[in-house]
Amino acid sequence: MKVPPTKTNWILIAAIVAAAAIAPFFATEYVTRLLVVATIAAVAVVGLNIAFGYAGLISLGHAAFVGVGAYGVAILTVRHGVGPWLAALIAIAIAAAVAYAIGRVVLRLSGHYLALATLGLNVSFTIVASNWVAFTGGNDGIAHIPALPLFSVQLATERSSYWFSLAVLVALSFIAQRIRRSHAGRSFIAVRDDEIAAAMTGIAVTKAKTAAFTLGAIYAAIAGCLFAFHVRFVSPEDFAYHNSITYLAMLIVGGEGSLAGAILGALTVTMLPEVLRGVGNAYLLIFGVLVLFVLVLLPKGLVGLLGGLKRKQADVSVPVAKAIESRP
Amino acid sequence: MDALLQLLVNGVALGSVYSLVALGFIIVYSATSVVNFAAGQFVMLSAFFGVMTILNLKLAPALAYPLAIAGMAVFGVIFYVAIHLPLQKRPVVSVIIGTVAAGIVMQNAALLIWGPLPSRIPSLFGDANVSIGSSVVTVHALATIGITLVLIVLLYLLLYRTSAGRAMRAIAQDVEAARMMGLPVTLWLGFAWILAAVFSAFAGLLVAPMWFADVNMGDPIALKAFAATVIGGFGSVPGAIAGGLLVGLVEILGASYISSTYKDLLSFGFMILFLLVRPQGIFGERISERG
Repeated sequence: MKVPPTKTNWILIAAIVAAAAIAPFFATEYVTRLLVVATIAAVAVVGLNIAFGYAGLISLGHAAFVGVGAYGVAILTVRHGVGPWLAALIAIAIAAAVAYAIGRVVLRLSGHYLALATLGLNVSFTIVASNWVAFTGGNDGIAHIPALPLFSVQLATERSSYWFSLAVLVALSFIAQRIRRSHAGRSFIAVRDDEIAAAMTGIAVTKAKTAAFTLGAIYAAIAGCLFAFHVRFVSPEDFAYHNSITYLAMLIVGGEGSLAGAILGALTVTMLPEVLRGVGNAYLLIFGVLVLFVLVLLPKGLVGLLGGLKRKQADVSVPVAKAIESRP
Repeated sequence: MDALLQLLVNGVALGSVYSLVALGFIIVYSATSVVNFAAGQFVMLSAFFGVMTILNLKLAPALAYPLAIAGMAVFGVIFYVAIHLPLQKRPVVSVIIGTVAAGIVMQNAALLIWGPLPSRIPSLFGDANVSIGSSVVTVHALATIGITLVLIVLLYLLLYRTSAGRAMRAIAQDVEAARMMGLPVTLWLGFAWILAAVFSAFAGLLVAPMWFADVNMGDPIALKAFAATVIGGFGSVPGAIAGGLLVGLVEILGASYISSTYKDLLSFGFMILFLLVRPQGIFGERISERG
């Protein structure tokens, strides 16, 4: 499915990262802020790509795990005076534990059942976050979250936030790619393509699914921590179920199963409101229409536009996918 | 005791609306396997078609209501051609995102056309109340229950007593076999969308006088209808009805006896409980086959 990273690809990746790193020098403060938002969304979507793109788990509850990360940081730092780094680690660990526990029970479901179950969990998260005022601050949220200190520098400016989240994104993407090529990653994909066949070859299906789901949640929680340290304020609205749908839309628009697609999708969908600023209130209308166009015309997402030409020769995944879909 | 009767009637009335939405949802799902995440926006659009014919155009009720319902039937066809047909052969997730995107388009088109302010559609049955013993219930609530009953009976007659129903059930069972038997499958799938849109139309026109017609009303209703579908069983007609009633009763009784802030959590708690303990729902399909 993906071209193996040859030398030229490494050069290409290095060039893209370098271009991304110098981008703030050419951007206004506001655009830099948007880039931070896009980068943080990309971290979450790269995680969703592990759960959905690799293991085929349709999760509409991803934003809740972003929320667990962000609220974890907010509550620990503001209410209990825990240091930012330690707070982030604890928040990520909590999200992982929650995802594991939920995964153990919910991942017996698949397809739209899983989608609806995770959607229900996300809605439940929002209801609790907006009503358990003593713990979460209710709809007023929690403000005055400290900035993240890095080697005695406070990451309080847009540029420093951007570089830090970019570094996190690059590192996590690298790890995601390693996972993809590891035994675990291959077992995720095997489970997605055919559960019964995967089980036949000795893959522990439930274990693989739970692992992919938990990994996705860890990425989401890291995105949540970055969000909390960047915005310095959390409220339930940022982690409602429609954010989960947005993450999934980013992945589908960019190109599911592909790391480049996840990042491209996050960037495109975050930047789209700026591009469409001229249309005012009709923005969401046009956004919906564009998503539909991408779904109908580009089944492989935007990334299909980039790599469509050179991959034509030996793409086995298409006939396999067709065979799976036409099965009774 | 009197309060309880009143709550029960209101719960069943609200539950009837959820049942109608859930029925629209499963009619489409059974016939086409499309999980319509825009189902709530269908209800929202119906309510605004009502706003247009009843409030804006000030038509007589005998004209206004049928016109709004006919408008939704036409919209069902449009949705079928514009959304369903292009995404027909795509994986589940593309269909989910596709219908969500269509829902976003519908909601924001409504926002541009009708604006953000909620409108109140008067009930066809006025603001009259009926006293049963010492408790008071609105005629509208009773009428909602009655109309829903009639629609359910009609749906059963359609599905089990007409050749149209036989064709639809054949398609729901096996599309390819139905096609080979010479059924015009493409037409019947379109008819399923029309039927679903009409059920949503009744739901929208009945719920709008209880709440307000508001461009944001779709999502909360859809979430409850999803919960109802899961509880009753995906793809099951009696399941949609039972699930809808259960969710409506849980919402009204839960709000008054347990907690009004956490009433929604109760419905979703029920849904998640069912997913874990009995994922096929009360009357559901065997999920290993479709899941």
